[in-house]
Amino acid sequence: MASIAINGLTKTFAAGDDAPAAVSGLELDIKDNQFITLLGPSGCGKTTTLRMIAGYIMPDAGTIHVNGRLVSAPGSVVPPDQRGMGMVFQNYAVWPHKTVYENVVFGLKVRRTPSAEAKKRVADALALVNLTGLEQRYPNELSGGQQQRVALARSLVVEPEILLLDEPLSNLDAKLREQMRVELKRLQRRTGITFVYVTHDQAEALALSDHIAVMHGGRLQQYGTPQEVYGRPANRVVADFMGLVNLVPGKAGGPGIVEAAGGLKLQVPLPDGVKTGDSVEVSIRPENIRLNASGSGPRASVTEREYYVSLDSGPALRVQTHPGQVFAIGDNVAVEIDTAQCSVFRN
Amino acid sequence: MSVQTIATPVRVAGPRRRVRLEHFVMGGAVLCLIVLVVLPLCSLLLGSVRGENGMSFDNFAEVVSGRLYVNALRNSLILGAWTGLFSLVIGVSLAWAVARTDVPCKPLIQLTASLSYLSPPFLTAIAFVYLFSPNAGLINVLMRDVLGLPLLTFNIFSMTGLVLVTVLHTFPFVYLLASSALLSVDASYEEAAQILGASKLRTALTVTGPLVAPAILSGTLLAFVNAIALFGSQAIIGLPGRIVTLPTRIYALFDYPPEYGLASALSLLFVVITVVALYLQRAFLARRSYVTLGGKGARPQLMNLGPARWVLFGFMVIAFIVAIVLPYSTLIAVSLSKSWGLDFWKGLTLQNYKFILFEYNVTQRAILNSLFLATIAATVAVLLGAIIGWIDIRTRIPGRKLLDYFALIPLGLPGIVVAVALIQFWLAMPLALYGTLAILLLAYVGRYIPLGVRAANSSLRQIDPSLEESAQILGASWLTTMREVTLPLIRPGLFAGWLLVFVPVIQELSASILLFSSSSITLAVAVYNLYETGYIEPVAALAIINMVIVGAAILLANKLGGGKIASRSGATQGLAS
Repeated sequence: MASIAINGLTKTFAAGDDAPAAVSGLELDIKDNQFITLLGPSGCGKTTTLRMIAGYIMPDAGTIHVNGRLVSAPGSVVPPDQRGMGMVFQNYAVWPHKTVYENVVFGLKVRRTPSAEAKKRVADALALVNLTGLEQRYPNELSGGQQQRVALARSLVVEPEILLLDEPLSNLDAKLREQMRVELKRLQRRTGITFVYVTHDQAEALALSDHIAVMHGGRLQQYGTPQEVYGRPANRVVADFMGLVNLVPGKAGGPGIVEAAGGLKLQVPLPDGVKTGDSVEVSIRPENIRLNASGSGPRASVTEREYYVSLDSGPALRVQTHPGQVFAIGDNVAVEIDTAQCSVFRN
Repeated sequence: MSVQTIATPVRVAGPRRRVRLEHFVMGGAVLCLIVLVVLPLCSLLLGSVRGENGMSFDNFAEVVSGRLYVNALRNSLILGAWTGLFSLVIGVSLAWAVARTDVPCKPLIQLTASLSYLSPPFLTAIAFVYLFSPNAGLINVLMRDVLGLPLLTFNIFSMTGLVLVTVLHTFPFVYLLASSALLSVDASYEEAAQILGASKLRTALTVTGPLVAPAILSGTLLAFVNAIALFGSQAIIGLPGRIVTLPTRIYALFDYPPEYGLASALSLLFVVITVVALYLQRAFLARRSYVTLGGKGARPQLMNLGPARWVLFGFMVIAFIVAIVLPYSTLIAVSLSKSWGLDFWKGLTLQNYKFILFEYNVTQRAILNSLFLATIAATVAVLLGAIIGWIDIRTRIPGRKLLDYFALIPLGLPGIVVAVALIQFWLAMPLALYGTLAILLLAYVGRYIPLGVRAANSSLRQIDPSLEESAQILGASWLTTMREVTLPLIRPGLFAGWLLVFVPVIQELSASILLFSSSSITLAVAVYNLYETGYIEPVAALAIINMVIVGAAILLANKLGGGKIASRSGATQGLAS
């Protein structure tokens, strides 16, 4: 079983001391039998991290241990071909000059698996990804989704302990992506392989992962379960990246109280070390705001359908209401905020 | 399904900096490049400044002041300038006709350009001598003695004749670059100018012209560089007309007693000229990048020439006749005649072919040597090119750009200069290579390694690195990855590159002329020597055989390199470089 321990991992591509690091001081502890996702916008260092785990890139500082054994350190890495991992690439990287069968059997040939056994394992792997019967096709005769499955089968057939996936679904259309998501999750559960998955799609990460590592600017922002990173973002960057969010400025008005702009008072737990009078930001997700035609709470007027409201006291908020609830632009409504779901960040 | 949680780690070893097979292969390639290019060039440099006692610049002083050398330099520059100018005029007008007008029969131009480019210039020169030598040239005899029109005779042994023969080989450089640039200018650029009220002429001058000018200038400079480096035509046409140029002057310096120092200095002067021209060429070409930005837009509307298109068509036909029909039919006719003259058709025979193929052991040896050398040289150049290209594109080894640069140096070296450098270097070595097939092989691989590198580079750029990486992560070693993934994928490109080297090597004369011995004689040298000795008819037969070999190689490479793989992987490579 495979666990991965990443300590102080740093990589800089550009020359010069003040060049921005692609990955900087990354600490990550990946338990075995997990589906973990490196999530972040492009350029955040997630792919660089994945490629360092695979052994394609040598770190400038820090170490990677797999099952307690050192595999990457500055100046010495176990090359990819001796790590026994699997990897699925964004562009599938299915070899165009080999048939589906030849693609999948490649890793077994390298391992000198006896041909009868190899045949059976290829058949099993193809069955697992629903490609039985396409053995003799060439990749250019397959759809994108089928090529993606060939890439998966090719990685799985050698029974790796760790499977690395670099945005494997980003080239598929929306419907197929949805379907492959389900299949990937099921595969991971069935095989017990540790999946390290890279994506910039937070919905994908939330749907698939046991743990999500949110990265930004080469640094790890938060590492936790989907519920944690979505519901309790560690900072503004994570909150912003994990979905639509209203960031309302304000200041701490006492224990558990934020005085937001325009006199709006919110009862939210404050982060440690925030003193009364400190300037803070409250993150409120649109789905945690309810609009009522009448009732208590601050009043606001609807400025855009689907829905933006402008509080009488100042700030504008984006709101996601129940689809059955319909308002017209200009309606005066009562705003109800589920403060238990809000987070406060120090400015 | 048997994908289990208990994995089977393969050959997992602790981290360690190891020397692997690829390091040996890469090191070997670097070493080859050093021996092939860098060291001979260094010894050329050393040889040019070696005086009686220590370093001296006497050789350079002599080369820039001696009448013989200044004269050769002047002739070379005159030749280059006229050739460049005519290549520009002919190349651009043909390119414009193909890309922008409704002139009929466009494939004829493409055919003319390709065949002219592939024809060995010294064979064209010989063919024209057979037609236009002052006394015995067939057309001259016809005009003067039969038709009584001495004014219509033409002396090929003149600068005009030399320029004519050279242009036939160099105009395709301008044509190919200009037509591809014209075709890639997005029509919307021109339409945008026209909708703003610009006339056709104004659009051509202010929009199209500036867009394609870098490509045209670049083609002209290539024509210049190639023109002044051609030893064959300059020896065959220039020497009888007492027009000595740089290559023929360098050649003369090897008459006994050989003047190595002067030859080296003159070679370096030669190199400076070509390198400056090539530098300008690259600079012009670099400015061309925006032309292809449009690319996918609509094709420009073809200009309707009306009856004038038949004038242009006539020009095309004349170009085809002068560049292709005349030299080839002459060579074929000469090769089939007992005795070349006005009534050659009275005694047609295959005796000349029989002679060079079955009776004369020099030509037999020459054909076999050239086939052998061209096959080996093309293979080595392409394999070396593949490794060097791979290092440049796929690794982050420091100094890889320098390696790539070294591999391009031979582009700036005229063939005869390569020969001088190799002689300088290998005469100083304890290995007796001079006069062997080995030194010819070194010359050929060294001269044409840039073509191998370029072919490999452009193929490798089309192969996404992840295709190799996915083999690696599955446990494949470097060698397995190369054999199973990289090489099969770049195969079509490598075959094209192989052909690009094979064709010029089969007909290489400029370097071979200084390096051959009677046992290592090559096809082109045999043609030249037979010609010099006055074997008129067998020379033509040998020339035709030369062209048959080239044609067969092209067919073969197309068959092997094309096929299923090429169409499947989409990695087909054009021949154009």
